[in-house]
Amino acid sequence: MPELPTVAIVDDDEAVREAVEELLMVSGLACHTFAGAASFLAARTSCRFDCLVTDIRMPGMSGIELIEYLHDQGVHLPVIVLSSVLDQQVRAHALSLGVHSWLTKPVSDERLLGAIAAVIGDGAGSEQ
Amino acid sequence: MTAVLLDPREHDETGIAELASESVVVFDPHGKIRYWNPAAERLFGWPALTVQGTGLTELSSSPADEKRAWSRLLQEGWWQGRVGRRARHGGIVFADVRRHLRYDAAGEHRDTVEFARPAATADIPQAGGHPISDRMMAASWVIDVSPASEIVARITARVGVANRHELEDLHCRLVEASRIVEVNERSARLVGGNRGRALMAGQSVAAFWPLASRSMLGALIVEALGNEHGGQCRRQLASDGILRDPLVSVWRAGDERPGHLFIAVNGAADDDRSYLFLRASEARYRKLVDYMPIALWQVDASHMGKIYAGLRADGIVDFERYLEEHPELVDHAAATVPVTDVNRRAIELVGGAGVQDLIRPVGYLFDASPDSLRRVMIGRFTGKKNYSELMKLRTLDGRVLDVRFSVTYPEPRLELDTTIFSLEDVSDRLRMETQLRQLQADFSHAARVSMLGELASSIAHEVNQPLAAIVTNAETSLRWLARDQPDIDKVEQLTARIVASARRADEIVQRVRGMAVNQAPDPVELALNEIVQESLLFVRHEVEMRSVRVTTSCARGLPSVIGDRIQLQQVIVNMLINAVQAVEGCDEPRREITIATATNDRGDLLCTVGDRGPGIATDHLDRLFEGFFTTKAAGMGIGLALCRSIVAAHGGDVSASNRPGGGAEFRVVLPRAGSFAAAGDIAGEAPGPFAAQAARSA
Repeated sequence: MPELPTVAIVDDDEAVREAVEELLMVSGLACHTFAGAASFLAARTSCRFDCLVTDIRMPGMSGIELIEYLHDQGVHLPVIVLSSVLDQQVRAHALSLGVHSWLTKPVSDERLLGAIAAVIGDGAGSEQ
Repeated sequence: MTAVLLDPREHDETGIAELASESVVVFDPHGKIRYWNPAAERLFGWPALTVQGTGLTELSSSPADEKRAWSRLLQEGWWQGRVGRRARHGGIVFADVRRHLRYDAAGEHRDTVEFARPAATADIPQAGGHPISDRMMAASWVIDVSPASEIVARITARVGVANRHELEDLHCRLVEASRIVEVNERSARLVGGNRGRALMAGQSVAAFWPLASRSMLGALIVEALGNEHGGQCRRQLASDGILRDPLVSVWRAGDERPGHLFIAVNGAADDDRSYLFLRASEARYRKLVDYMPIALWQVDASHMGKIYAGLRADGIVDFERYLEEHPELVDHAAATVPVTDVNRRAIELVGGAGVQDLIRPVGYLFDASPDSLRRVMIGRFTGKKNYSELMKLRTLDGRVLDVRFSVTYPEPRLELDTTIFSLEDVSDRLRMETQLRQLQADFSHAARVSMLGELASSIAHEVNQPLAAIVTNAETSLRWLARDQPDIDKVEQLTARIVASARRADEIVQRVRGMAVNQAPDPVELALNEIVQESLLFVRHEVEMRSVRVTTSCARGLPSVIGDRIQLQQVIVNMLINAVQAVEGCDEPRREITIATATNDRGDLLCTVGDRGPGIATDHLDRLFEGFFTTKAAGMGIGLALCRSIVAAHGGDVSASNRPGGGAEFRVVLPRAGSFAAAGDIAGEAPGPFAAQAARSA
């Protein structure tokens, strides 16, 4: 039996983090949650993720800084942004760095799950 | 030599005869006395008041001679000779007189002037060639005892039966019921205060007669009424603070004036200062009071003082409660405490046509605020020296004014019980203050809204997080429920999380709404530390996003502060935002702000907000709190100016300085609850019981 696809969720808000985690669980996805970019980056040394769902406005390292870092490191990990930020420039910048989807909170379950399914399903969803 | 101080109301010529050492008398064409100068009073003993209108022959010791002399005078135009005249002391005074007829412009007989000197052989003291000083003149009165006839009858019936105490009481009541018909200048000066002779007429004799000798006067009146020959009844009194060893004489006015009595009081003024000095200072005082820009009322509440003494003797201590149970006593005071004098400004203030409109029971002053009279009474009962409050006054023409009402109570044991009310019209001032407060409230609201604008993206983000969690949790629940075997436990857990997130969103919305609405300030007792914690919630997100460290140090056991929660939050949030903005451009180690609460050496509350930013340029320190002063590109420069006016309205102070290690520090000092009665200032209250309360506790 193939291993379940694993999604990393980075959001400083505990309630949002837990809600997304529950949604992915009921949809048959495995996931790990992180309160900030730093703890996610630390976990990457030991875990493999098929997809990253991240917030943008966070204390410490922001979502954009995380995306830039992964891009600069040449990490091939599909990224989905889930944030309240409406700034078009930030959005365009993120998309130019290879972000797959930019979803605005609150998001519908179908859109979020659809976006995740899209990146996992097309086979691009595994870290090399 | 005596100098003349002319009262403007006095006629110049009259003044001349007043100073003459010779007796000067003016008779009308029918031989009735029209004028009687002080030297005549001295020579014949009769006060002017008591002989005015009296016929020449009535006073003569031999009327037949007098008639002859009179017809001679009419024929010749003048007459000279010796006359005998009945004197007040009972004997006959012989005088050498000269009489001259005077004619008016039409040649008609106008009057007769008589000059008299004591006859050389007469057995009376010499006048000595000096004018008669005021000190020697009798203070004379004409009174009407007919309103007291019932009391007189009771006294007559009770003589020999009643005890001394009862009789004294009846005698006092007799004096209270008796009315003044007329008094001479001297009486008016001695006891009339600022009122003058005209205003004394018609009032109760007791309103002017010293308290200590009222019952004696009553006894003397009864004695004079019973004297068969209409003779004089005399009594020597102890010095009463007005006259030294005064001698009081009372006698009936005569059959043609039933119920009228004459009173003469002889005695030197009980004062070391010369009469002239006294009169001049009195004139100055009268003018001063009359032209005082504050409206003044003099009232006589002496009978209330007696009622209070009685209540105290009955063991009444809680007068406030007593008045609640006996509101009729307040009505009684309103209807019976008379106004005895007012000044010009008082007439202007209440819009009366003249003094007479205001000289009546005090009730009309309290028409628009009856409770004020109650508080005035409580003040007197509790032995205060004075009392003041803001109240509404209805003028005689129906306007309602806001006035600062003050009362000065009489000192106990003074002879005359006079209470002074002063009223100052503060309507304009209050109106302007209300407008200013409204303006300030509008400004601080505008500043709050602009402050929320600066925080808008933070707030949106903050409120969006729980909403996002709610949506996702709800949809997840639906997925669990849609399964063939729904996981109810899971749904319950998710629903509980939905509730928690919804509450969180609601709290944020409430907090922001409190800041956003323009509601009237509401001064309550607050804990400063709570205000600080609530203010931190507003900037929590800003602080986290900018990686600013916040050090909070709240002192324990702080006294509370009286203030408006939203306004004080506004001040602290404003200072926190400034601090965050000051450090956001700094390197990470300096991105630190501190907020602390404490008390200062005077026990007042202190809140400081410090940062490690670039600090304040020295030449900006002084201007920092000025309106429209700003160093920010998009700033309006009203934040700190409003902080200062809000803090000032709370009785506090705000200041800024640079910290020794770099960075700025803002200090807010707020008075602890109880040390500042600013409730009215903060709330912008119209005068009323609350404002009065605040004024009293100040």
